[in-house]
Amino acid sequence: MTELVTLTIDDRQVTVPKGTLVVDAAAKVGIEIPIFCSHPKLDPVACCRMCLVEISGPRGMTLQTACSVPVAQDMVVRTNTPQVKEVQEANLAFILLNHPLDCPICDKGGECPLQDQTMRFGPGLSQLVEPKRTKNKNYLISDTIVLDQERCILCWRCIRYLEEWEDKPQLALFQRGGETLIDIQDGKPVDAKTSGNIIDICPVGALTNRVARFAFRPWEIERTPSICTQCSMGCNLRIDTRTHKLRRVIGRENMQVNDQWICDKGRFANAWVNHEERLTTPLVRKNGELQPASWSEALGLVADRLQAIKQRHGADAIGAIGSAKLSNESNYLLQRFMRQLIGTNNIDHRDGGDVAALPTGVPALADVMKPQYGPDPKHDVILLVGIDPSEEMPVLDLHLKRAVRRGKATLVIVHPRRIELTRYNGPFLQANPGTEVALLNGLLRALTEAKEDTSSDAHQLVANIKLQEAEKVCGVAAEEINKAAATLAGAQNPLILYGPMVARGEAGVQVRQALINLALYLGKPENLAYVGLEANSQGCRDVGLLPDRLPGHAALDDPTANELLSRLWGCTLPTRAGKTYKQMLDAAGGDIKALYIMGANPASERPTWAEQLDKLEFLVVQELFLTETAAKADVVLPGVSWAEQDGTFTNLERRVQRAPKALGNPHSKAAPDWMILDHLATYFDAQWGHANAQAVTAEITQAAPIYNGLTWEALGDQGLQWNPAEHSYVRPDMRYAPAVQPELSESESGLRLVTGTVLYDGGDLFRLTKQMKNMAFGAEVRLNPADGEKLGVTEGESVTVRNTYGALELTVKFDATVKLGVAWIPESLPGAPVGALLNGSAIVNVLIEK
Amino acid sequence: MMLSESVRNEIKKWMDLYPAGRQRSAILPALYVIQREFGYCPVEAQNELAEMLELEPAEVGAVVDFYHMLHTEPKGEYHVEVCTNVPCMLRGAGQCMRHFEEKLGIHHGETTPDDRFSLDHMECLGSCGTAPMVSITERKTGRIRYFEELDSAEDVQKVIDLVNSGKAFTTLERWTPEGDPKLTGKAAGPYRVGGMEPRFLTARVGKKDSHKIETYIADGGYETARRVLTTMKPEEVVEQVKASGIRGRGGAGFPTGMKWSFLAPAMPHYLVVNADESEPGTFKDRIIMEYDPHQLIEGIILSAYAIKAELAFIYIRGEYYFAYTRLVDAIKEAQKKGFLGEKIFGTDVNLRIVVHRGAGAYECGEETALLTSLEGYRGHPRMKPPFPAVEGLYGKPTIVNNVESIANVTHVMRHGVEWYRSFGTEKSPGMRIFCLSGNVKYPGLYELPHAVPLRELLYKYGGGPQFDEHPFKAVVPGGLSMKILSADQLDTPLDYESVQAAGSMLGSAGVIAIDDSQSMVKVARRTLSFYREESCGKCTPCREGTGWLEDILLRIENGGGRMKDLDLLERIPKFITGKSFCPFGDAAVWGLQSNLAKYRAEFEQYIAMTNPEEEPPVIPIRPIYRPDVGAPSVAHDSALEIEGESPLNRDTPILVTGD
Repeated sequence: MTELVTLTIDDRQVTVPKGTLVVDAAAKVGIEIPIFCSHPKLDPVACCRMCLVEISGPRGMTLQTACSVPVAQDMVVRTNTPQVKEVQEANLAFILLNHPLDCPICDKGGECPLQDQTMRFGPGLSQLVEPKRTKNKNYLISDTIVLDQERCILCWRCIRYLEEWEDKPQLALFQRGGETLIDIQDGKPVDAKTSGNIIDICPVGALTNRVARFAFRPWEIERTPSICTQCSMGCNLRIDTRTHKLRRVIGRENMQVNDQWICDKGRFANAWVNHEERLTTPLVRKNGELQPASWSEALGLVADRLQAIKQRHGADAIGAIGSAKLSNESNYLLQRFMRQLIGTNNIDHRDGGDVAALPTGVPALADVMKPQYGPDPKHDVILLVGIDPSEEMPVLDLHLKRAVRRGKATLVIVHPRRIELTRYNGPFLQANPGTEVALLNGLLRALTEAKEDTSSDAHQLVANIKLQEAEKVCGVAAEEINKAAATLAGAQNPLILYGPMVARGEAGVQVRQALINLALYLGKPENLAYVGLEANSQGCRDVGLLPDRLPGHAALDDPTANELLSRLWGCTLPTRAGKTYKQMLDAAGGDIKALYIMGANPASERPTWAEQLDKLEFLVVQELFLTETAAKADVVLPGVSWAEQDGTFTNLERRVQRAPKALGNPHSKAAPDWMILDHLATYFDAQWGHANAQAVTAEITQAAPIYNGLTWEALGDQGLQWNPAEHSYVRPDMRYAPAVQPELSESESGLRLVTGTVLYDGGDLFRLTKQMKNMAFGAEVRLNPADGEKLGVTEGESVTVRNTYGALELTVKFDATVKLGVAWIPESLPGAPVGALLNGSAIVNVLIEK
Repeated sequence: MMLSESVRNEIKKWMDLYPAGRQRSAILPALYVIQREFGYCPVEAQNELAEMLELEPAEVGAVVDFYHMLHTEPKGEYHVEVCTNVPCMLRGAGQCMRHFEEKLGIHHGETTPDDRFSLDHMECLGSCGTAPMVSITERKTGRIRYFEELDSAEDVQKVIDLVNSGKAFTTLERWTPEGDPKLTGKAAGPYRVGGMEPRFLTARVGKKDSHKIETYIADGGYETARRVLTTMKPEEVVEQVKASGIRGRGGAGFPTGMKWSFLAPAMPHYLVVNADESEPGTFKDRIIMEYDPHQLIEGIILSAYAIKAELAFIYIRGEYYFAYTRLVDAIKEAQKKGFLGEKIFGTDVNLRIVVHRGAGAYECGEETALLTSLEGYRGHPRMKPPFPAVEGLYGKPTIVNNVESIANVTHVMRHGVEWYRSFGTEKSPGMRIFCLSGNVKYPGLYELPHAVPLRELLYKYGGGPQFDEHPFKAVVPGGLSMKILSADQLDTPLDYESVQAAGSMLGSAGVIAIDDSQSMVKVARRTLSFYREESCGKCTPCREGTGWLEDILLRIENGGGRMKDLDLLERIPKFITGKSFCPFGDAAVWGLQSNLAKYRAEFEQYIAMTNPEEEPPVIPIRPIYRPDVGAPSVAHDSALEIEGESPLNRDTPILVTGD
């Protein structure tokens, strides 16, 4: 129970928890104390002096800063005395003294705290007759942030954000006294991945958004509360639109998800929404060319061809690929369409059925968060296996840094690269790629030793394992494994997260089993979570976009689910398990004759798949852009983005959140994904009759019992989590079982290939924002400098990276975070599909040729 | 790589001096190494240093920019800096600067074409009794030497000749024209010291080898420390110091023993000696460190023992290079004798002293700013509470005491409380080193008991006005920060209470006499120039207010004043004092406030004479938004154009041209 303190502010009594700052206590009873440097999510510095009020103390009523003084019992605060008013006026006069007052051309004008405070508390008259100081204006401190040093009032919020949250103080004060200015070190732009948040918290127009610059005035925009769909975090944000265009994205508070921070990709990389390359009309292939067509022509053709193929080859010759970038509603209807109207379970998405996932996600993001005012995170040790939050989920990265620095948490990291989070000196197990099972078994072995356990089931599983062998196989020192085991053994409430990088293919199944053993042994199986990387990775699984699972994670032969769905859909369900994403693409042109691809681009992923797709009898692609895959289609159906349709997304902690329609292009014929499918159904003589997306949301709450009650209205602005405890059938049956390290072909020469997601990749959602083009990863292979030297290649040199599956032309870049003997080629690099070197199993070697 | 292996090793040695995990503290010493190596701090070297210290490059850049002794562009081989602050100004610093400009053929702020000399003006260098003076920095070694009492053009010529002859740095001890008539570079010895007999704090100054440990030991030195460490408990030392009533000599006059008793129990404790003597008109700590460093070290041993600190820092201002070398040598001597290091005097007590050089920032004299600086950051003050005694250096309980305060501890422990209290008054016990500067005949240091009348100091010791025809007009009693006393207040006794009753504060006991030939407008303007220059920039009132006041005073000085400016000059300080983050704001305007209150007529007369029509200032119709106005904006590139306008968009197409 927090201790409460009662004090008097302007003759009003207020009771607040001990430790509350006077400024916040005053706000609680509606008394506004003007502030600039103070920020509810940053430590106080008390440098702007705007909040000076009279506070009682040992020396009577004295002027003190309300932003830095904590409340005390029987304290008396006066915020409206003549002295306070006079000081407020004088302080604003000081702040405005050298402020350029170029409000008419300032992006902040209209939503500027300095303007507001000047109106409310300012002197109204300047006594300055000297020339104003001049400093740099329009000055890029990164590719996305413009600094105006003249407008800056030196509140230090940006500096503090980068220090306290990002732990990357790349902005600092330079010069001193009246000349003081905020700046970067010469030649070292800000590259923190959530740097854009400093724009949101800047109380003046000193830091502005380069991407949104001069695109609107704040009083002209419409504001829509929404969420981000760039990764699985589901950060809350606000979309600002004007004249049917997305003008700006800013962070929105959700203390369960993202505090109020969003990453730079979510904030800046949104040019694709309004991009001229967007598809605006259905296309149908005529005489070998894709040509504009009407919706009825296009949908009619899709229906005819699919029905013809079904008749000729059977329902299982048709497959559908959905997308974890799209909403629950779209994906739900896609699988309903396939199951009900085609009659097949050939339904999947990338990293869907091919991945050894777990259905229940992260227990709660709030349990790893350390907000400015709040308890320490509930998880004291966090084990990351094969995920790099800095590149994959920057806001999770932010939470983890904060949990370590301010919340006493420790990170244990298993990753083939020395990822950024390893800088916190937690145990770091840099296992050779593909040896994760051996490592995790070794870790369990070390853990049983740490607990002096010689009898449990877990001990039996790993009794024969020797750390020295694990050390040899994985390339991780036994000492480090022991250190990690000791950390885990001492954990009160450990959290284990693993990602698709280690969960794919056959090896992934073994990794999952090894992790289950570990989680069971730690006594927290519910704290083991698979983390998908896309915005709706969780939602796709929840709504049944899997070849072997019905909505709500029900097995295909689950009688309750079958009964429920056949009643709801008015059909019997196909019972044979479908093909996975990889299986469908591998079989394209073979067993699979037709594919319906919605929001996925497998042709760019792997050259072999691109060839296979050409062999299909019929290909429908529902897309925003004419992607490599869409270009091969017989019919292209233009969808709209997440910002242009209502939809819900389920993030990595099972939080279902609304993304309402924020804008629409009146000149485009493109339609919401759910609506396209709803219309297509009518061509199969089915009348689904969804009046809007909300109706689909409502249907999901019936079809997937885990979503019971999660209607559009109920979700509200902050979303709701579904509770696995209430749906115990969802939770997998976790048991101890041996986890077998897959055989590694020792004979292969060359470097082991490591891939994985990077934030600034070559995908459409990023590359179309021109301002960010310099930030993107190039078509590079990254090597440890020592390997580079051994191979005799230099940085910047073009090389051919080759193995039995294919070859890629790439430039060499040296990177000390890459382990010796490893070549790192991220996914989705522009013009460099690393899939060319893969055949599904994650463990391959490559040769670097000059 | 820009930093060579040897430079890196040298930096690593500095890093090892600081407690584990606190290597950032080595940032200033490391930058000194870099500056000696390259003549300035190149950005690339800064970035490499950042890597060594595990910092972001911007953090190093921010530090370099804060400290004025660190340069981002190369200076000449010999960097001549003329002190032009008020005490020097009163004795002809302007003249001295002009002589240098003429002789070197450059304006201040410039470097000679042969890259030999750079000339700059400088804030107070702690040489007020020997004004006018310059400090010269030798680029290739980073060494600094003071050249003092440069009254004439000939004196200035001698300095330049000496530098050109290559003998200027044969020693680092101060140089005067009188002390070295043959121009061999010979040292001048200590400056004028006097006062009561016998003297204690300055007793050895002037003796041969006064800085050597043998001299100190011969006087009974270190005996007190030995006795106290072997026979007394730390708590008893604290009690004795408390009973003595020593008050802090840095300026605020807070009782030293009481400060010690606030120390939080959490270990470790640190002792930090504030040797950042930068208050204009103050030059007492300098002489203790230069000519009697062992007195200070013994005080440190006693104080550290009392507060149970095993690591003590002396934060010395960067300009005091000679004092720094003397301290380093003295510590080595003491270590050799077993007075410092492990198990000192055969007891279980350990003590290590690290001498840490500042780099030119007045604000670092404020105790929390000093700690921030010592930790390797820009010298910004910190929020109090927590006070340093609870959370100080590296977040640990820390005591920060002035050099003279620590030196007093030695004498209190040696002679006892009663003896100490026999000097001065009940509330201001003990003796004081008064720093007398400005327009007196014999400026210098005078060790006298508290409560000596100001008149006695000025006339008996200072010899009266510098020029008989110019009587005293005003006196600053406690360093430039303190309020000015007028000539009718000369009978004020110099103790804390009496000076306060007279409307000022005893401060650091830097007494600056101003005669009636001086313009109070110029005094005010130069005072504000100093505070504008030295404001750390953290809080709004001080950062903006000092600049604004200086601008107004400069305009008045240059003949553009209006009578209503005086009202503004009265009004602005009201919103700086007591409103700023740290006491610097008070210090910055007290002088002006008292000056204007007492000598307003002189300001009015000045304005009436220089701007009789009260011509208003000419200011631009609109502020100049950009220094490069007219040139294309740097942000004007094609990437800023908004793409894909809808054809039906009725707004004028948005063309981004930058502002």
